[in-house]
Amino acid sequence: MSDLPKKTFVVTRFDPDQDEAPRTERYEVPCHPDWKVLDALNYIKDEIDGTLSHRWSCRMAVCGSCGMQVNGEPSLTCKQPVSELPDTVEVAPLANFPVIRDLVVELEGFLEKLKQVKPWIIRAKEKAVEEGTHSQSPAEHAEFKQFSMCINCMLCYAACPVVANEPEFLGPAAIALGHRYSTDSRDEGAAERNEIFRGEGTVFSCSYANECSEVCPKHVDPAAAVNQAKFNAVIDWATGLVLPRGGRE
Amino acid sequence: MARPAHPEAMAPAKPGRTRTAPPHRPPKFPMQGRYRAYTLFDATGAVYLLMGFGVLHAVRTLGDGEVAWQALLSGWAAPLYVAFHLLALVSVLFVGVRFFRLFPKAQPPRIGPAKPPPGPVILGMLYAVWIGVTALFVGILSGGIFG
Repeated sequence: MSDLPKKTFVVTRFDPDQDEAPRTERYEVPCHPDWKVLDALNYIKDEIDGTLSHRWSCRMAVCGSCGMQVNGEPSLTCKQPVSELPDTVEVAPLANFPVIRDLVVELEGFLEKLKQVKPWIIRAKEKAVEEGTHSQSPAEHAEFKQFSMCINCMLCYAACPVVANEPEFLGPAAIALGHRYSTDSRDEGAAERNEIFRGEGTVFSCSYANECSEVCPKHVDPAAAVNQAKFNAVIDWATGLVLPRGGRE
Repeated sequence: MARPAHPEAMAPAKPGRTRTAPPHRPPKFPMQGRYRAYTLFDATGAVYLLMGFGVLHAVRTLGDGEVAWQALLSGWAAPLYVAFHLLALVSVLFVGVRFFRLFPKAQPPRIGPAKPPPGPVILGMLYAVWIGVTALFVGILSGGIFG
């Protein structure tokens, strides 16, 4: 290990029992050429400083646990190669989130927002099991598939300038997941969600910075979802004005 | 550390048992990296605000008679005004191009039973309308139409 080239990791630390505010600590880490940032953080924890706290799980950009700011960019640390970074690497907790400890952020606020958009299939009337499955064509599936690829990694929230200013804003991932279900041909809850989306702190708070889509590691394109949801919310409102029962059966 | 975000940003409705450090803003916001384009996009709002005041002033001057109107027009020939109008032109082009680039993906996959045209077609339509409307205004202002 000692022969490997070393990089300096400047890691944000915060112990709620001892620290008034977050501080940084520097670690010299011998890095394998094929390492990702997460490997370096695990090396720090295993070999240098066992008190470092960070979240991770799958190591293959699927679970969405290891999102952090790497040199100021929201990144999945399991996906970001160390070799692409300069000799000094700054690792900080995700922006726009309260910090619980070191690199671990508070996600409860997101889970509350996610629940508000009802990210599940809503049926006006449940179908009996003996009536069979809800069929869906590949074309219908393709309409929402992109938005169902979200892994809740929160990079989009860390990149969004509106999230930093408006605590009520539902945010990119929650709206994208709500829109995913509204676009699903098996769902009948779009009108409910459109009403939510017309409320304060929802889709119309988005100023289309598009940064959420730029940083999304799964190419979900949350900015597209948010702005499509704006369009649908307006169409739904307009239809409700001119047609009885909003044009719904 | 980056500048602080709103203290309640992404905070749960009920605070947890552990004390948390307040959230910070994206470190590169507002003027570094990709945020620069977004900040400039927002800053063009100030240019449009000034343009709006200019238009209101022009409309009021129209009511003050021919002499006042000619004085206003000769005032607009001053280098400062020309520079401002050039800035306004650049702002409009910047906002237009950015908006047109992002607009197609804001189209839902279906509007009722109808499918919107593909993104490149929407983009082409937007530019065609922009060029058409600009040509119409140039025609009207130069006296070529209704002259």
